[in-house]
Amino acid sequence: MNPTQNAWHHIRRSPIQSLVAVLVMTISFLSLNLFVIVSNGMSDVLKYFETKPEITIFLKDGLDKTTVENLQQELTSYPGIREIKFISKDKALSLYKEQNKNNPILTEMVTASILPASFEVSVSNPTVLEQISQNFSAKKDQVDEIIYQKDIIKSLLNWTDIIRKVGIISVSVSTLITFLIISVIIGMKITNRKEEISISRLLGASNFYVKKPFLIEGIIYGLTGGFVGALSAFGLSQFFAKSINHFFSPITFISTNISFYIYLLGLSLALGSMIGFLASWLGAKRYIKF
Amino acid sequence: MNVVFKNVSKHFGVINALNDVSFEIKSGDFVFLVGPSGAGKSSILKLVLHQYHPSSGHIYLDGEDIFLHHKSIVDKLRRNIGVIFQDYQLIADKTIEENIALALDINGVPASEIPARVEKVINQVNLNSRRHLFPSQLSGGELQRSALARALAVEPKLILADEPTGNLDPENSWMLIKLLTDINSQNGTTIIMTTHNMDIIQSLNKRIIAVKNGAIATDSQPVVVDIVKVEKTKFKKKLKRK
Ligand SMILES: Nc1ncnc2c1ncn2[C@@H]1O[C@H](COP(=O)(O)OP(=O)(O)OP(=O)(O)O)[C@@H](O)[C@H]1O
Ligand SMILES: [Mg+2]
Repeated sequence: MNPTQNAWHHIRRSPIQSLVAVLVMTISFLSLNLFVIVSNGMSDVLKYFETKPEITIFLKDGLDKTTVENLQQELTSYPGIREIKFISKDKALSLYKEQNKNNPILTEMVTASILPASFEVSVSNPTVLEQISQNFSAKKDQVDEIIYQKDIIKSLLNWTDIIRKVGIISVSVSTLITFLIISVIIGMKITNRKEEISISRLLGASNFYVKKPFLIEGIIYGLTGGFVGALSAFGLSQFFAKSINHFFSPITFISTNISFYIYLLGLSLALGSMIGFLASWLGAKRYIKF
Repeated sequence: MNVVFKNVSKHFGVINALNDVSFEIKSGDFVFLVGPSGAGKSSILKLVLHQYHPSSGHIYLDGEDIFLHHKSIVDKLRRNIGVIFQDYQLIADKTIEENIALALDINGVPASEIPARVEKVINQVNLNSRRHLFPSQLSGGELQRSALARALAVEPKLILADEPTGNLDPENSWMLIKLLTDINSQNGTTIIMTTHNMDIIQSLNKRIIAVKNGAIATDSQPVVVDIVKVEKTKFKKKLKRK
């Protein structure tokens, strides 16, 4: 019986322990994968805003056409302006209706008069935005509010930071727990096979010979957990991808790039076998001393 | 394999299992270890196998003091020793066949050669019909023969047989003795066998080391004997058994 068959034999002999081992591995890798997918989305959102310096100037209601035209004229005079988009109240309403087309009650209630007209200004040089923002916020009787990308980026960064921290902590904790559980399970299995191990040693088996099946067993748990975890994270994210991406449109928050998921799967398998190996090695080291 | 004990003592707490034991067994020898129960025979074999550490003294296998060496040397030495343990030491949840195969695998025998070698020793000990059974399903004698088969399978340089006929009927006892003497004369395998079976000891004319209270009482070399006389007694014994 080769060591892999032997490991398989051990796995089947105590199916509950093996199931627990695979389950914790799977949960660990599911959370790891989801975390990476969400982080990836967050950084895409950030990138989107960072690479698109924009400012939105909301206008007060009831401005006449010339005032609006003058404002537009003034905006054009700044250097490095890429695009100035005027969004009228009617345009704003059609945008709003498009955004909320699934909610007829809202679109019924909202009329063009409620929504503000605005300028969307995009520039090639972000420092210009600073000036525009300062100058236009001074025009208190014409400008209602200025939404400045920098603020969005700042709060996004904040959120990303929080999500990252929470993610890293929970993934580390679950990995640690997985690690300990695997090593305890392997330890239990070794205790169950104490007789076999000590007889094998008397027959001249090296320390490594008796350890090998347990190390392979740990690696099998890691590979299985990594595989199932990565696959379920992929399934789960693709299931919600449409609605989430619609929400973040035009940003693809949940990646639809298949090579990203293949990379994640590879990473999970590599990490899984490493964790499985190290955990069982630790378990074996603690118990195989004779 | 050459086995040398030099002033070996072994204590278990207050129990003195062995006291200042010295002897040399040359490569290719066939030696009986005899003595009353609790004399220390098994302890000697366990010390040879490195299952026990001596409390004092030295044990040399092929001139090497095994207790001074790294563990991997011990593993390698053990692979050259076939042991029939007094309590068999068969793995409970492996079949007889698997138990033997494990020993071969540990010895690094290629997987493709294992079935044939298992087959060979299983036939040698007449256990063909029991090969798929687990140790708990076998009789004492069958277990003993399984242990013998495992020890023979690895074609060791040294066989330690601890009371190997303890549970065997006369016919199987002689089968075992024939196997051991054949291996001893054909392959030059060193054999150390403990036994209480005076029939076997007397009819074989081998060196006998008698242990008593943890010390060597007598160490008698085989007497140069009259072949005719030996054959006569053998014949008489065989008649008696029939
Ligand atoms: N692991 C141990 N712990 C404590 N005492 C031991 C241990 N092994 C052996 N002894 C003691 O050492 C003494 C010698 O035991 P050993 O097994 O060598 O006897 P033996 O000559 O093989 O006897 P038998 O013919 O009954 O097999 C005994 O008194 C035994 O109780
Ligand atoms: Mg004994």
